Amino acid sequence: MNATVIIIFLVIVAMTLVITYFAAKRTNSASDFYTAGGGLTGWQNGLAIAGDYLSAASFLGIAGSIALFGFDGFLFSIGYLVAYLVVLFVVAEPLRNLGKYTLADMINARFNAKKVRGAAALSSITIVIFYMIAQLVGAGALIQLLFGIDYIWAVLLVGVMMTVYVLFGGMTATSWVQIIKAVLLMIGTVILSFLVLQRFDFSILEMFAQVKTATPHGEAFLNPGVKYKIPLDTISLMLALVLGTAGLPHILMRFFTVRDAKTARSSVMWATWIVGIFYVMTIFLGFGAAAFVGSETIINTNPAGNMAAPLLAQALGGDILMSFISAVAFATILAVVAGLVLTGASAFAHDIYGQIIKKGQATERQQMLAARYASVGVSVFSILLAIFAQSLNVAFLVSLAFCIAASANLPVIVYTIFWKKFNTTGAVSAIITGLVSALVLVSIGPSVMNPEAGAAIITGTPLFPLTNPAIVSIPLGFLGGIVGTLLSKEANEKKFSEVNVRANTGGFRQL
Amino acid sequence: MTKNAAGKSSPVSAKGQDKAKTAVKKREAGHIPNFEEIEASASFRELMKKKKAFLISTTILFLGLYLLFNLIISYTDWLNASFIGDISWVWVFAFGLFAMTWILVTVYMKRAAKFDEMAHNTLKEFNYDEEENR
Repeated sequence: MNATVIIIFLVIVAMTLVITYFAAKRTNSASDFYTAGGGLTGWQNGLAIAGDYLSAASFLGIAGSIALFGFDGFLFSIGYLVAYLVVLFVVAEPLRNLGKYTLADMINARFNAKKVRGAAALSSITIVIFYMIAQLVGAGALIQLLFGIDYIWAVLLVGVMMTVYVLFGGMTATSWVQIIKAVLLMIGTVILSFLVLQRFDFSILEMFAQVKTATPHGEAFLNPGVKYKIPLDTISLMLALVLGTAGLPHILMRFFTVRDAKTARSSVMWATWIVGIFYVMTIFLGFGAAAFVGSETIINTNPAGNMAAPLLAQALGGDILMSFISAVAFATILAVVAGLVLTGASAFAHDIYGQIIKKGQATERQQMLAARYASVGVSVFSILLAIFAQSLNVAFLVSLAFCIAASANLPVIVYTIFWKKFNTTGAVSAIITGLVSALVLVSIGPSVMNPEAGAAIITGTPLFPLTNPAIVSIPLGFLGGIVGTLLSKEANEKKFSEVNVRANTGGFRQL
Repeated sequence: MTKNAAGKSSPVSAKGQDKAKTAVKKREAGHIPNFEEIEASASFRELMKKKKAFLISTTILFLGLYLLFNLIISYTDWLNASFIGDISWVWVFAFGLFAMTWILVTVYMKRAAKFDEMAHNTLKEFNYDEEENR
């Protein structure tokens, strides 16, 4: 670790702590804590969404994947981006018009039943925990590489920082950490892209021509099929990505930080541009790393390719750029995990404690205390899990989180807004069917069971062939909602009129 | 009751009322609007018709193209042919999906401004002010 790294790193930490200090002064109510008082503008929330979404897995992982696998490394980005159309068209505005702090609030605008809220909170918490473990384990390994400190200390460092942001600064601090991170990330990738393109004389054709001969894959590098060879598995995964984003609780929660549906809409527009431009630039980063670092060096530093971007920075801009990119990666990790802690805390403190146990009668003081206890609880629990999971291969947990979001959350959101006959039983059965089928199919699939000893958590032949079960579990989630609804005689049509009018006009928010 | 109520306040008479009293009536605390009446109104139905037509057609379009792309690259090598130099059609289609996303977002932003206006008119027709009810 050299002096430049330490200085840039300390500047970022100091900056986020200053933000947290000022945010803490403004965090006086549950609404401030969960939604930053609902006062973010479209571009602010758009940047924060991008900051929440572009994890270290996106930045370092995709750049590395493209460097090692060419087009296949880029493939996920298409799903990650197109997914924002589902967010924009289906969930963003109704969510803002109907909800208060959580996804469960929105569904309960129609049902007001504890079991629906409980089921929605359960699926949110499951997604948050899986996503968080993947992020923290990845963060630990990355920080170990970037700054040369032990895994446990790396996890603790990230863990303490995220707890401090959320505990004291709530959503205001979290949002601003995400905004700053998004800006830093864009600056870092623009600089790297510029340097890469300069080396190719600003000719995309030249870049493709050189990369074709730069990797062991040869011409195949530029076409699909280097990494993903099982068609059905690829399609299942791509389905999880495009439909899952609209059900990720930490992304959904960001829509409560703006004042109305119009601002929610413009924040998706900002996010789509930022996320899309970022993904286009990862191609330059990946190809640059393939050409100027070389796959051998990339794999030798980290077999998954996560060090491709920092190594590229080293090759093109020396120690200073490498330090800056490492610091950006660190900020990236912090912003994502802070958002996750806050989302997990909202499900525990607002849904389970505030609404189910206290029946919505908790005082402002009780709500704030519960939110803070829950934040610490979620943080400590995830840090412990991450330390325990150090040696496990948990990268699949990210796509599992997308799969659960698409299977358990999206069906219930769609039915709540669009289906007049949908009822309480249908809501519970949609969530539970989606959640359970995704979990069961993953745990008997190749990510968890592998015949090769040590390659996965269980040694044995997988009972389910697909790595990502989305192609089965998403239809099951939708089907679960239909079957549950038809099996129950309960009708909810009058309430549907209310939800329909409120979701589509933006009026009557306080009811 | 709902049908009668909806029948009584047809859009025409509601618009007439609106002209008569420009100020929004103060309602008692705990007043619950008749949502079925609003839902059944011509202006709200028109909003939903327009909105659904746009959302359903564009959703079929973008999900369809997205799935088509994934099916083609997973099961065939049709797109591996050269577009210009070493850039194959795969990259063209992939970038096309990026462009599609940006275009649809931009188009929706324009459309949604009209939907907002229609929604605003519906609320006004029933003497509800958005701000007041927020």
